[in-house]
Amino acid sequence: MLNDTLRYRDLLVALVATELKVKYRGSALGLLWSLLNPLALILIYSVAFQYIIRIQIEHFTVFLIAGLLPWGFFASSATASTVSLMVNAGLLKKVHFPREILPAATVLFNLIQTMLALAVFLPSLFVLRGSVPWTLVFYPVVLAIQAVFVTGVALGLSALTVAFRDLRHLTEVGLTLLFWLTPIVYHISMVPAGMQAAFRLNPMTSFVSVYQDIAYWGRPPSAGDFLVLIGWAVSALLVGWTIFRRRAPYLAEDL
Amino acid sequence: MTPAIEVRNLWKRFVLRHNRAETLKSRIMGVFDSRLRERRETFWALQDVTLSVQQGETLGLIGPNGSGKSTLLRLIARTHYPTRGSVTVRGRVSPMLEIGIGFHQELTGQENIYLNGSLLGLSRREVERLYPAIVEFSELEDFIDVPVKNYSSGMHARLGFSIAAHLDPDVLLIDEALSVGDEGFQRKCQERMQQFRARGVTIMFVSHNLRTVASLCDRVCLLVHGKVEALGPVDAVVSRYQELTAAMTSGAERMLGPELSPRSGDVL
Repeated sequence: MLNDTLRYRDLLVALVATELKVKYRGSALGLLWSLLNPLALILIYSVAFQYIIRIQIEHFTVFLIAGLLPWGFFASSATASTVSLMVNAGLLKKVHFPREILPAATVLFNLIQTMLALAVFLPSLFVLRGSVPWTLVFYPVVLAIQAVFVTGVALGLSALTVAFRDLRHLTEVGLTLLFWLTPIVYHISMVPAGMQAAFRLNPMTSFVSVYQDIAYWGRPPSAGDFLVLIGWAVSALLVGWTIFRRRAPYLAEDL
Repeated sequence: MTPAIEVRNLWKRFVLRHNRAETLKSRIMGVFDSRLRERRETFWALQDVTLSVQQGETLGLIGPNGSGKSTLLRLIARTHYPTRGSVTVRGRVSPMLEIGIGFHQELTGQENIYLNGSLLGLSRREVERLYPAIVEFSELEDFIDVPVKNYSSGMHARLGFSIAAHLDPDVLLIDEALSVGDEGFQRKCQERMQQFRARGVTIMFVSHNLRTVASLCDRVCLLVHGKVEALGPVDAVVSRYQELTAAMTSGAERMLGPELSPRSGDVL
């Protein structure tokens, strides 16, 4: 299977290029559009939380961006993965190729967009803050672990949405809910002590906390932190992969 | 000689889902209200089909609508999976199922050639090498940088056949693809198929045009209700099919009276 997937590497590249072309064809700003959405969110939340709610977090914008961009990677991949098999029904019905390449291409496309946003916003952060924490060297490692986690979620969601079409809408509602249950615009310590354990059951809480550690607090993640993240990533991949393998033979019939 | 395609005791069951519960909501509602519950009916599209195609042989597949011809081709192309039995194919398969391969409507003809090449397992470099020949054969030079959504169905078919025809396949699967496109292009396709035969490519060919089948195929397989009704020399199987069709048509005439009987084309 892995061998098959490697042989189809060119297909993965072609599919990601297709998504990029289709999304930005005929728009003058091109890839810059992918920066507009995070920019708008950063502005809205910064104004709302810093000047209206007056949240007690120093350099709030820096804190916000540390958690918001990785959340965006997760949320946009999950949303796009629900339709990644359905929009390619024509290909699935007519050609044999490893089916998992379609959700994988969706994740890769969103990862590229995220890295572009990081390349623009992370440097601007440190202009606001005045210094660069050395712990930023952990960023690529954490992003790689998150990419594995997101791939697992995308595999499971893409296959399940073929069987249950309304999962697409449920995912959107669920993501809005999950956004506010993840400490992105607030800090986990602000959550009432009795509820903190429940908040930690959310895998995105673990990821976002580590991102805030390395990009905002300048604290290196502990070995325990890494174990938790790897645990989430491996579990998501196992569950997503199992669901996907069970549905894959019937995709061409069910679509 | 080892066969290029081996189909052994192949069964394929489709589940027809009446009132299909496509959403979680309808699944849940079905628990409370039996009228909303999904009714499932199984349908055997292929029943115990066994056949093999030798390397370099062209096998024609004929039979009435709904007899399982396209299903058999899909199973050989591995887009669908057997319920029971097995399919073994040796070599690179180039499928031409329905009209065109899967095209992405927003992409241009050129971009689709590259995408389809990689879908069929070719590297980018291989597609680059084949690209000029594909465009020339399709005669779409002037439209190659136009999105495929603006193509006519004939242009779709031409691009699809051109890609499939240039992939240097070991096994070519063709489902009614030649019936699209103008006469000139159809003739070109048939010439191309003759070239493939001469080169030793194994071809499996579904068509309702018995004359084309007779001129292109070495052997013919007749499928009826998902079972192999006859398999052998072209003349014998084609005349068996014509007898069968005649029997079905006169049977229908007797039952319905002459004015209500469907034209033979509808029965096929």
